[in-house]
Amino acid sequence: MDPFIKELKEKFVHSDDLFLHEEEILDVPVLLVGFKSLIDFTKTKVTLQKYIDTAISSQKTIGELLNEIGEVKEKDLEEAVSSIMTGKLLIISNSHRKYAVIEPFHNMLNRAIEPPTNENILQGSLSSFNEDIKTNIGLIRKQINASNIRAEFFSVGSEQKTKLSMLYFEGQADKKLVEKIRSSFEKNQDREINNLQNLAKSLGFSGWSVISKVNTTELPSETVAFLRKGRVALFVDRYPFALILPCFLWDMFTLENDRNYPIPLMASIRLVRIFGILISLLIPALYVALVAVNPEVLRIELALSIAQSREAIPYPALVEILLMLIILELIIEASVRLPSSIGPTITMVGGIILGQAVVEAKLVSTLLIIILAATTIANSTLVGIQNSLAVRLFKYVLVILASIYGVLGILGGIVLISAYLASIETFGISYLNLNYAKEGTKNG
Amino acid sequence: MDKSLHVVLMYLLVHLGLIFFLYPNDIISSSDEGQWMPIAIGLLFHFVLVWIYMKGLSFFPKQNIIHIYSEMGKGFATFFLLPVFMYLMLVNVIGVRAYSEIITIIFLSNTPSWAIIILFLSISGYLAAKGLEVIFRTGILLALIFIPIIFFVLIATFQNVDWNYLLPLIDDDFHFMTTPSYMKSFSAFIGGFLFLGFIAPYLTYNRKKVLMAATLLIPFFVFAVYIPILTFGHGTASRFLFPYIMAVDSTYINWLMFDRVTMFFILSLVTFIMLHLSLLLWMAYQIMNHWFPHQPLYSILSFTIVTFITSIMIIDWKAVERLLWWNSFLQFYVLLTIPLSIYFIGRRRKGRA
Repeated sequence: MDPFIKELKEKFVHSDDLFLHEEEILDVPVLLVGFKSLIDFTKTKVTLQKYIDTAISSQKTIGELLNEIGEVKEKDLEEAVSSIMTGKLLIISNSHRKYAVIEPFHNMLNRAIEPPTNENILQGSLSSFNEDIKTNIGLIRKQINASNIRAEFFSVGSEQKTKLSMLYFEGQADKKLVEKIRSSFEKNQDREINNLQNLAKSLGFSGWSVISKVNTTELPSETVAFLRKGRVALFVDRYPFALILPCFLWDMFTLENDRNYPIPLMASIRLVRIFGILISLLIPALYVALVAVNPEVLRIELALSIAQSREAIPYPALVEILLMLIILELIIEASVRLPSSIGPTITMVGGIILGQAVVEAKLVSTLLIIILAATTIANSTLVGIQNSLAVRLFKYVLVILASIYGVLGILGGIVLISAYLASIETFGISYLNLNYAKEGTKNG
Repeated sequence: MDKSLHVVLMYLLVHLGLIFFLYPNDIISSSDEGQWMPIAIGLLFHFVLVWIYMKGLSFFPKQNIIHIYSEMGKGFATFFLLPVFMYLMLVNVIGVRAYSEIITIIFLSNTPSWAIIILFLSISGYLAAKGLEVIFRTGILLALIFIPIIFFVLIATFQNVDWNYLLPLIDDDFHFMTTPSYMKSFSAFIGGFLFLGFIAPYLTYNRKKVLMAATLLIPFFVFAVYIPILTFGHGTASRFLFPYIMAVDSTYINWLMFDRVTMFFILSLVTFIMLHLSLLLWMAYQIMNHWFPHQPLYSILSFTIVTFITSIMIIDWKAVERLLWWNSFLQFYVLLTIPLSIYFIGRRRKGRA
């Protein structure tokens, strides 16, 4: 046997989905090699047969035929292995010292283009990205018919290669930004990218930032809007999201789809989201501050009724609220974890606990339940799950400061959070930037 | 890049923080009638000094006052910058101590003031260590969140105004000029603009816009004094330590669930003061960095520790007042010499060129 084929076999030992199929093409014995799991063999063979038939009628040699249908290469084991891994069909002839790499029919391993699962959209285009990087870029090209859209491909990782792609609008995106992203990928060529933390490392971000420095969206329509404003979109193969760089605070409150409504409605929807962040940050902390430290701020009737509702509760406001907040976090986490068929159970059980039983057992006050409900609902109004997670975390900073310093603690906490947000920079662009589009065009 | 908006907002915030606490009492106790005259004179000082300072700085584009003085020679730089450094540290100590005392007096009577000082210093130290641009950006966020509250309260305080207290309009003997409390009131008039000379290489601004911001401040300077007088009359108002805050306390808003809007008002101002403190720490670091180049973290950490220890050693409000009085001399010295010297150095350089 050819030593090359032997080596190839050794490389894929115990890979039972590898096929080595002996065949004769134009009377030359060849070996077809590939993965059954990746290649639709029947279809590929039928097509191959058609090529062979035309080759017979036009009297081509096998070399000419292989050159026509694929890429002929010298026998190089490394390259052959990586071609097989990416789902190519190899035609190896024993007599020649060459093999051909052919693009076969693939098994359908991708989802169809479906409506978004993580972001809901009202009155807007519904298709969302899926796991295949080419499909995603195709979606973008379909969404916007522009010749100045650029798609650069990178392949990173030393052992497992991951395909990455960077999309931007030529002339719209800041050239310096594009160059910085490109060079950071080139510099970290050997770093493997299996998740967003890896990607952040590759881009040179700290992994400890609470606020995510990339904005994620699974909607081509949103992505195109970002691109048009001079942002850069990254795609990672097998990750069904566009990663938008740079990311700004204002993105928490805006969706491009808002612009499908009249301006007053758009403005009020966005105002609701701003209230959302304020309420989910402030209300739990205000409860602790007003109950435990500064009750005199409240109107006397209100203060009395709150005191009455807390009459039989045996622990301080901080413990009370932390207890309930943690239960609430557990409910949210559990409803993400559970399969959707038993998900509603959690809602029901949680509803019973939070709604009635806890109050009747005099473990927490009724007011607290209202506050928790308001907080959770308000938190969900923010755009982007990574943003609402960050706000959920910030809430605890304020609650703890409020339990020590009262209202002063809340305001101090706001300064602290503002300072933190102000200190975030992505490639030298501040997180608080409001008119990036204008500046971007100026630089581009 | 032109960052006028950042600078203008910071200018407003810093001054708003200064105006509403000590300044109304200083003005009210300095003169019995026609308080607009001391205010007008103070404002005149404010405008003239800010104008001279900015004019002087405009001779040196992209340079801050540390660069300007060090170009003139080492001894020269030390002669001017040492008092500035001392002034910054002193203002920092007094600021931290005075505002923690004010907060204790007004509503956190059970919290020890060292705990409040720790909160103040840790937040402003964190901000200062992050650098100038972060301070200014934080300023914008805070302005967006808190300026509406301040405006709301300011309008609400007109509720109990009796316009008859406006009279008599004229104070004809100018005796307020010689009172110590009038001297102290200048910390509000001239205590807030020093930072304009430090930010040059990082942020640039339009001089006209800053002057417009200063004009915007005039009503605040006037209302801070006149609202308590128009609410209580001069006789009563002069007995309060914080007349404006008492005036806010006396308002009653029917539909609001809060009884004391004062707290939100004061605390909004306190956040501006935290911002001011971080700016002071950063300026002190800049001077220190000029003498001994180093990382910001070290000096800001040591400044906050020094400030903490010194402010703990100040025992009561009387001591704070005494310090304020001493500080007003240093303040006059620094805030007269710096703008004037910068102006003359600039003029001379321009003349030579």
